[in-house]
Amino acid sequence: MKKNLLLIEDNEYNLYMMSFLLEKNGFDVKVAKNGKDGIMLALSEKPEVILLDIQLPEMDGYQVLKELKNHDELKNIPVIAVTSYAMPGDREKILQAGANGYIEKPINPDTFISDILKCLKDGS
Amino acid sequence: MFLRDYMVVIPGWVFFLIVLGIGILITSVTWALILKRRVEDRTKKLKMALEKAQEADRLKSAFLAAMSHELRTPLNSIIGFTGILLKGLAGPLNEEQKRQLLMVKESSQHLLALINDILDISKIEAGELKLFPSRFDLRASLEKLIGMCRHFTEKKGLYLEFNITEGVHEVIADQKRLEQVLINLLTNAVKFTEKGGITVTCTADQKNYIISVKDTGIGINGNYLPLIFEPFRQIDSGLSRKYEGTGLGLSISKRLIEMMGGKIFVESEPGKGSNFTVVLPKNMEGQDEKESSLDRG
Ligand SMILES: Nc1ncnc2c1ncn2[C@@H]1O[C@H](COP(=O)(O)OP(=O)(O)O)[C@@H](O)[C@H]1O
Ligand SMILES: [Mg+2]
Repeated sequence: MKKNLLLIEDNEYNLYMMSFLLEKNGFDVKVAKNGKDGIMLALSEKPEVILLDIQLPEMDGYQVLKELKNHDELKNIPVIAVTSYAMPGDREKILQAGANGYIEKPINPDTFISDILKCLKDGS
Repeated sequence: MFLRDYMVVIPGWVFFLIVLGIGILITSVTWALILKRRVEDRTKKLKMALEKAQEADRLKSAFLAAMSHELRTPLNSIIGFTGILLKGLAGPLNEEQKRQLLMVKESSQHLLALINDILDISKIEAGELKLFPSRFDLRASLEKLIGMCRHFTEKKGLYLEFNITEGVHEVIADQKRLEQVLINLLTNAVKFTEKGGITVTCTADQKNYIISVKDTGIGINGNYLPLIFEPFRQIDSGLSRKYEGTGLGLSISKRLIEMMGGKIFVESEPGKGSNFTVVLPKNMEGQDEKESSLDRG
């Protein structure tokens, strides 16, 4: 019954904070600190939703998105970008790149969970 | 032999004139060349200076954008963990702990607002800020903002009234940015008012909505009125500053509203209060078709 979620985020504290918040709200959370591990985990775990940071070392969020969309068994998993990369038009760019939703950092802990659920509803 | 025949035919004064003419020609050509060289030199120097300035601008805005990102990352965990603790998700808190964490929460939100302002003004100055217009209900948006403001007016014991006329409904504008402007006007009104309160009105004419935020606060001295829409301007800027803020809110607001094809202005009387008015086109796309698109649905 728990929703399976994969969180890809390179900052250790942010990773801990978000996975704590998600677990307390009934998600089953898998975490990865870079894109490569994220894709491998996605392939092995088949999560129901992926939360993806955009600024990541080596392989950035856009590349991860592209890679996810290249795998037939992953391309239908909804991806929500969670990012502080606040350049103009980012939101549009990320959505165009295939993300189903966009949540800006800093996250609002009061609405984070409902924001995710809303993205899942709107984006499908 | 030949030459001598010639000399006889040409009188001396004509010869003199020819020599003089050739002289003038050579001198002016030389001068022209020197001048041309100088102009080229100057142009090159100016171009280099311009390129240097543009490079500096690019560096500045890239730096500010990167900084804002770097600032948001730690702020994300501060705000996140504070929220988690306050919700009691990491265990129960006593009243004093809750009180102190609420102060952390408020401070971090304040810090976030400052970072956002600095990012905005740097984007605006680098010409990188883009608007994303969409169609939405202005009445609903205003009511939402007034609702958010009520908490703060109640805390200060101020009244908060609003009057939105019948004809106020749909607008095509950048909702997030318009709300940012209105929040700034409301925040200022609360900040600079100690007694009385705030009145928000919205009316419509054929092409525009006219939104005004009126307060009964300290008002603004006439000398300062033209300055408050300039970046980093705060009337009270000494060490003993009484009101916090960056002085960026109104200059960002002015630029945003102008980008939407509208206007913002103020009437104020010291000691009596201020009235900020925004004239907002009902359809910013009708105003300026080159920059905007309706692709956000
Ligand atoms: N409603 C108001 N009443 C009195 N003064 C105001 C009001 N709104 C703005 N001002 C003056 O204009 C200045 C600039 O405002 P703003 O750009 O929003 O910056 P900040 O709020 O960060 O000081 C303020 O510092 C204040 O002196
Ligand atoms: Mg302000």
